[in-house]
Amino acid sequence: MVSVTDRSTPTDHGRNPYWSLVEVLMASRSVGAGQKILVVDDEHMSDLMRSVLRRLHVDGFKPLVVAPEGELVTGDDYETQTLFALENERPSAVLLDVRFGEYDTDRFKGLSILNKIVEKDSSMPVLMFTQYAQGPYRDTAVTASLNTSANVDFIDKLASPEEVVLRLRRLIGNAPETIRIGSLFELDPDNAAVYVIADGRREIIREIQGMKFEILVELAAAMYRSEGELVPFSRLERFSEGEDSRASLRVRIRELKISLGKAVGREFSANELIINVRNRGYRLVDPG
Amino acid sequence: MNLRTLRIIKFSTATIAVVGVLLIALSPLIGEPIFGNRLWWIEPIAYIGAAIAIGFSAVTILIMRFENKRRWVTSDNRTWSQVTQDYFDTFAHDMGRPLRRILGKEREVRALVSETGGAPVKVVTELLNEIEQQAPNFRLMIENVRVLVDLEDADARPAIEPVDVAAIVRNVADRYVPIARERGIELVWWCEPAEFGLVYGDGSALDHVITNLVDNATKYAEEHVEIRLERNGSQFTVSVWDDGTGISESHLPHLFDRGWTPELSARSEKQSSGLGLFIAATLARRCGGELSVDSTSHGNGTGTEDSHTAFLLSLPLDNRANA
Repeated sequence: MVSVTDRSTPTDHGRNPYWSLVEVLMASRSVGAGQKILVVDDEHMSDLMRSVLRRLHVDGFKPLVVAPEGELVTGDDYETQTLFALENERPSAVLLDVRFGEYDTDRFKGLSILNKIVEKDSSMPVLMFTQYAQGPYRDTAVTASLNTSANVDFIDKLASPEEVVLRLRRLIGNAPETIRIGSLFELDPDNAAVYVIADGRREIIREIQGMKFEILVELAAAMYRSEGELVPFSRLERFSEGEDSRASLRVRIRELKISLGKAVGREFSANELIINVRNRGYRLVDPG
Repeated sequence: MNLRTLRIIKFSTATIAVVGVLLIALSPLIGEPIFGNRLWWIEPIAYIGAAIAIGFSAVTILIMRFENKRRWVTSDNRTWSQVTQDYFDTFAHDMGRPLRRILGKEREVRALVSETGGAPVKVVTELLNEIEQQAPNFRLMIENVRVLVDLEDADARPAIEPVDVAAIVRNVADRYVPIARERGIELVWWCEPAEFGLVYGDGSALDHVITNLVDNATKYAEEHVEIRLERNGSQFTVSVWDDGTGISESHLPHLFDRGWTPELSARSEKQSSGLGLFIAATLARRCGGELSVDSTSHGNGTGTEDSHTAFLLSLPLDNRANA
């Protein structure tokens, strides 16, 4: 009996067209860095879950689906196999549903599995799928009953796959070694280097150093954390000089945009790459 | 009279009844007999004790019966609120089933379209976007009704727990950034200080209020929505700003009324249930804070440079004192 289905080899599912898409996009697996994600949901074959699995692949994660075999699969089967897979596969995080099957006793089986996982390893990041109405109030009740150090978060099952992966990434909490800015640039904070990516090769942009590089790191980190996060002026003031700190900052950012633009043979307009949002602060956006 | 007051009265009457029993027991020590014959050779204090014990026991029993009726305790000791919430869970889960299927199919189609590389007919793209955009709408509607049920329970108290409020704002923003983008709106958020830290309050209520405000802002904004989280003395504030046409002065007093929507007053098609702001304001008050609005409108139905609406949610940094 196969307890865990490794979904890392798309060719296993030749009949399903989305795996070929996954294969094409496998090259961009920088975020997930091949981390295993254990997916525990009795509806793992549903379209909704397939879109989540696909997104995990695209972002470079390796989803492992717990799929007990047999005619009558109950929540207990999922529990046993999940605990087994935790030991044997050592995943980086678990994606877990609350409801299992149509048996009334399995209505909240996910919560009991969650408790078992936390008992075993309280540091294991677990992202739970809730159904709207079992929402935040119940989440509070569940987290209160858990060990306070438990690394658990909740997300609605209707959330977009992007949102699911974002929350999962945040839950795992590993800072990436490099941050990609769209498909054009890559930032390596440890080595204080910014690269331009062309034809799959990286080339360092030497012009961007010192404060300009630090501004870029600050903006890129905010973008990596959350697409809509703005870096307010107060957080950028330390990168400015003179009496008019905003003007000095404006100059630095203009120079930064020119340097980045030169590297890719483009001229970034006011609404591209680094945007001043209504004089509140700056935001980095995907240059496309 | 709410259940808490009833409970206090019940414990008081029960205590007095116990004092009555004590009086009977202690009467040989503290009283003097008033009748000479053996049959009535009992201290008067025992009579008083018996009257107190019987009278107050009867009152206590009556209160308990009334309380059970009010609380509607079921055979498995669930309260009215819990029973309603449980039914609601089942209802919402079943109602969501078709939506999950539709949404799943839509995402599959989207993936196929992007795989084949061809640009789909405009109407197909619009349909896919519409389905994707209605999902959070549906989530919020269901959640609003559930919170309404919860608000009916006069005994329910807001939770007091350590809450990472910046994470809540970030999660709500993450959910609405793609929706706003589809509508041509730039949604940004930030918090000051950058490391905001924890507050003590009700995380789920906070999440719900912010979601309603952001949902509202993305509906009415022209180009920009800003969510700003700040510390302000012993309070923290979440401001949700949009550059929409603003709310006219005549509408402002009704904004937080249950069931009121601007479309209703304009006699046009109703786009929202009119519950969001009512719930947000009620939840904010219940959590020891308040929700206020500041809006500038030029009343011509089009956004001008300075027309805007800003909702300001203020809550205590530490709500443990109000628990």
